[in-house]
This record gives sequence, structure tokens and C-alpha cells, in this order.
Amino acid sequence: MKLQETIRILYDAGVEFVVIGGVAMGLQGSAHLTKDIDFCYARTTKNMERLAKALEPFHPVLRGAPPGLPFRFDAKTIANGLNFTLSTDLGDLDFLGEVSGLGLFQDVLGTSDVKDVGGVDCRVLSLEGLIKSKAAAGRPRDLYVLPELRGLNEIKKKTGLE
Amino acid sequence: MTEDQEKFALHLINNPPPGSELAKAKEYGVDLTLFISTLRRSPTERARSLSEGARIFQIAKQTHLSEK
Repeated sequence: MKLQETIRILYDAGVEFVVIGGVAMGLQGSAHLTKDIDFCYARTTKNMERLAKALEPFHPVLRGAPPGLPFRFDAKTIANGLNFTLSTDLGDLDFLGEVSGLGLFQDVLGTSDVKDVGGVDCRVLSLEGLIKSKAAAGRPRDLYVLPELRGLNEIKKKTGLE
Repeated sequence: MTEDQEKFALHLINNPPPGSELAKAKEYGVDLTLFISTLRRSPTERARSLSEGARIFQIAKQTHLSEK
């Protein structure tokens, strides 16, 4: 997983995104580890074009798809889908158009914080947003992390930490 | 995290108020002391830790698969 490099590439390409999922948890201070990077992306034509162009050099393919399955991660493919789980030269990247419990990009953006990650002002889903989305997703692996997220949120609020 | 914030955070971790989310997390089995080390780090340092964690996870997975 090339986290800082991936964020820098998307940022430089002008892609509108919010870091969500396990990486957002880690950036907010959780000790949780993850092997993929999840993003929520804006579904405007321009953003989908920028996203496709930014990832093209890193050979995105559908994760877990049979080898040789024709797939092209271009703006048209993105427009015709919503959520994509990709394997790329940067590692496993997931791009979600919608997040459980929160909604579409603008809703997710509204519950995000700005974090300086390697010199990039990056939008990261807030602890409140993570708690809401994990509770709504409701899978065992989502519910499992809720006590840690709620405890972390409480300690950050009480100590005034960002 | 300032010295005062760290002191207060340590106090809360060692003495989570009854009924608080911290108390519930501790009861659930969360190691609250990990919060101190993660909160001391900047987001960039946390990003490095995440990448390193993923790298170690990948090595462990490959080792497990090659031993099968």
C-alpha cells in the first residue's frame, strides 16, 4: 500500500475525494491496520475523467476478477458503475460513490476533516462519520471497531485534540 | 498533543469514567493505552505507520501461503 503516494497522485490530478474506511480510522488515530485504501469520490463528469486519467499509469484491474477479463477503468466505466474494488500498482484501492449511513460524496465531504498527509491537505472522514457509516454498514467487521472509534472520539473531544 | 493534553488523556485512559465510551471500549477489550502512541503522531506519521503495517501484513500473508 503506497498511501502517501496515492494521495499525492489523486491530489495532483485534481481528483475530488475523501479518504474513508480503515485508512481514515488510522489517520484519525485508531490503531487499526488495513491493507487497502478506500475513497469516496465525486461523481461529476470532470472528476470521473480525472480519476480515470490519474490511475491509468498504475494499471487498475478489478480485484479478484479472472485474469484476462476485459476491463478498462475509464470515465465511461466509472459513470456506468458506482463502487469499484481495484488492484493497482499502488496497491488495492477501493472507490465508492456512496457510503453506508452517510450518502453521496457531498454528504461524506460534509462530515470530513482536513489532515496534512505528507504535505497534502487531504479530506479524511471524521470519527463521527466513521462511527455513523460503520454502524449503518452493520457487518461484524464494522461493528467490531465501533467501541474503539467511540472511545477515541470521546478522548479527542475531552482533550480538545484534532 | 501538548503535555497537558497527554496528561489528561492518560488520566482518562487509566480512570475511564463509569458509563463512558472509554469505559465501554476497555470492557470490550480495546487496549486504550494504544491511543497515546497514535495520538502523539502527526497524520503523516500515522500514514507511514499504516503503510508499514500493510507491508508487514503482506509479508506475513505471503509467508503463510508459502508454508501451506
